[in-house]
Amino acid sequence: MKKNINMLLVAALLAVSSCGLDNYDAPESIIYGRVVYNGEPVGVRGTGEAVQLQLYQDGYELRNPIPVYVSQDGTFEAKVFDGEYKLVTRDNNGPWVNDRDTTIVNLRGAAHVDIEVTPFYTLSNVQLSLNGNNVDASFQINEVAGGRDIDYVMVLVGKTMFVDDVSYTERLDISDVSAGSTITDVIDLSNNTDFKSGRSLYARVGLRPAGKDQAIYSQVVKLR
Amino acid sequence: MKKSSISIFKTLLVASGLLCATSCSDFLDREPDQILTEEQVFSDPVMIRSVLANFYGRVTWGQHIGDSYTFTILDEAGKSDGGPDNIQRFSDTQWRVHDYGLIRNFNQFLQGLRNTTVLGETEKLQYEGEVRFLRAWTYFNMCKGLGGMPIVGDEVFEYSGGMDVTALQYARSTEAELYDYVISECEAISTMLSTDRNTNSARANKWAALMLKARAAIYAASIANYNNKMSSPIQTPGGEVGIPASMANGYYETALSAAEEVIENSPYELQLTKPDDLERNFYEATSVKDNNREVIWAKDHGYPGQGQQVNFTTANIPGSHAEDIDRAYAGPILNLVEDFEYSDSRNGDIKTRDDQDNYIFYDDPLDAFAGKDARLGGTVILPNSLFKGSQVPLQAGQKVWNNGAWQTITSQPGERDGAGRLITSINGPNRSNEQYINKTGFFFRKFLDETPGASTRGRNSDMWYPRFRFAEAVLIAAEAAMELGDQSTAVDYINRVRERAGIQPLSAVTLDDIIQERRVEFAFENHRYWDLKRFRKAHIVWNGVINSSTAQQWALFPYLVVAPGTSNDGKYVFERLPFSNSLHPRLFELRNYYNFIDFAWQNANPKIVLNPFQ
Repeated sequence: MKKNINMLLVAALLAVSSCGLDNYDAPESIIYGRVVYNGEPVGVRGTGEAVQLQLYQDGYELRNPIPVYVSQDGTFEAKVFDGEYKLVTRDNNGPWVNDRDTTIVNLRGAAHVDIEVTPFYTLSNVQLSLNGNNVDASFQINEVAGGRDIDYVMVLVGKTMFVDDVSYTERLDISDVSAGSTITDVIDLSNNTDFKSGRSLYARVGLRPAGKDQAIYSQVVKLR
Repeated sequence: MKKSSISIFKTLLVASGLLCATSCSDFLDREPDQILTEEQVFSDPVMIRSVLANFYGRVTWGQHIGDSYTFTILDEAGKSDGGPDNIQRFSDTQWRVHDYGLIRNFNQFLQGLRNTTVLGETEKLQYEGEVRFLRAWTYFNMCKGLGGMPIVGDEVFEYSGGMDVTALQYARSTEAELYDYVISECEAISTMLSTDRNTNSARANKWAALMLKARAAIYAASIANYNNKMSSPIQTPGGEVGIPASMANGYYETALSAAEEVIENSPYELQLTKPDDLERNFYEATSVKDNNREVIWAKDHGYPGQGQQVNFTTANIPGSHAEDIDRAYAGPILNLVEDFEYSDSRNGDIKTRDDQDNYIFYDDPLDAFAGKDARLGGTVILPNSLFKGSQVPLQAGQKVWNNGAWQTITSQPGERDGAGRLITSINGPNRSNEQYINKTGFFFRKFLDETPGASTRGRNSDMWYPRFRFAEAVLIAAEAAMELGDQSTAVDYINRVRERAGIQPLSAVTLDDIIQERRVEFAFENHRYWDLKRFRKAHIVWNGVINSSTAQQWALFPYLVVAPGTSNDGKYVFERLPFSNSLHPRLFELRNYYNFIDFAWQNANPKIVLNPFQ
């Protein structure tokens, strides 16, 4: 009898003490928003964790940032604990002027934050449509910060809604372009297996400023 | 009840009392049998030597024949084993080196060495030279990945709990300062080290130190030069990353003079023991230890000796020549094969089709490579070439002429058709997910060991892995001379290497010629990645574009022609295909030029500055 009670007591002791080990609930509060210029979200490469922001929080022993991943449509979301954070772009990462200014975020449940950036160039009046075997593309290049060359612009066709310069089924690069001009071009898809299979196709256009690690993109549109 | 619990308690008490009384005193006074004190080591010359030997085994980083996968990451070889490798991007910590524990061990050794009384002065100097060489080598490997890092000199830090650690927190040096440190250490030790050769070039001597000096200088020079030619040079405000352009010429001069000292005064040479068989000559210069004249410092392996062998041969031997289960783990890709020139043309493309897009027919698959740079045959096993005296077949299948069109037939490896003709050879290549079948169309020859048993799991190979060899001194001199504007010297040096390869001399040297020559001379020798990085070409060559000739991996499949009644029956044709086992093109991004600093290092030392793009 005593033995059984002893064993029960030991088991109870263990159960009570283990509650104190690593039993934090997962965070529920979100910081969400967009990377914007002039109120418009900036399109980027969404795959491969290419474009990131960083969340820092003072007052702790370790100083590592929490990475915040920017989706291809310029939006981001991070689920963290309530508190005061510092949100900042990652160094030299993104098709905009490098700006490490901090945005203070006071999080109590949910916080909406738009990060203003200054791209070197933007794309506007983007027309992308499927025309028989071809994709017709037309878009305008605008200079914003400028001050550096344009490496190339791209017209990209993808077989999923995630389209960028490393995720595509067809890519057309056009170099020797300049700001203020309208680019019109055609991609011939007659030899493309994804086109011939009849599946859905998506497209966007992109611009790579010289010397920057990422291109700026228009929003993804569905061709069919 | 009460009785039993009291007696249990009493027994426990007595037992614990006995335990304390008897075994306590001996238990805690044992001598450690796995830790040697400083005194034990430095009062015994054999112990000192064994610590130094241990150091030599701790300085292998980057590509190495102990890890065949490292050769498949770039544009040199493709992994043929098992299912597809989906890699596309490079890691933020690709081949990153950061080992201050090792540097501390070097410094502890130096301290003990300088104070020991059991060694003569010359021996002390030699050992000091060797350990400082290994230390400089460690810093160099750190620098080429991370840029400037804390230089701790000869310090052996003391730490006691609760002390103020700010004095132990060293800031990062500038990138230039770290290369300068490597160069000055090599200069200082070159007078301490022996000028003689040593067994299998396993130990450092004066010439290894000069080679490290030359390589560090040429790396620093090209970073100072080409980083600043980028539209956005990669740099930090404090210089931890980025070297001023004004320093380039000084580094080129240092590299040139160090390389020339090796070329003119060392006991090594561009090995040419078989001038009538240049392919065999090149293989022996890199991959045969006996009577080797070329290799200056290598990671040696031995047989017998536990843990002293390497499994490159076991893993990569062609199935037709395998002595055990393993084979065909990886093979060179067409990208590399086509970068070797022909003796009569600098364009190395294999001619598979004519201008009307018809097949070109060859009597034997090996004929497609006739007249190639001899280094190709010494580096790569081509279809139907010999290994250990017998042919290595590589046949993907048959092309059968049927009703006015070519039909492709493949089979299980080794199968024959109704007329007894081979369909798919025992070695492949094929495009399946199976292991043990080649998928690129080529096998490694460089570093493949011909010793009987070298491809067995029981014996493995004692092949070495050269780190410095004479040809590098010649090509460093060519590059430095070219960058300093001395074309005639540059031309003279580059043509020595080309002559040994049986290809035409050049009359002028450009950067592309240097990149090209290093690509084919040093295939699989842990140069390609670092070269494209220091020339700031990596993001252009490995640009992530699908079906690009440089970023995509390509294979070359030979086929037997079956066309009875025609003149082409029994000949061979080739198909050029994207390599099936690694379908994504390589994508090297700007942030890959320097490894990321680990945040943990910054946590421990707030003076550590992060690298660009972090």
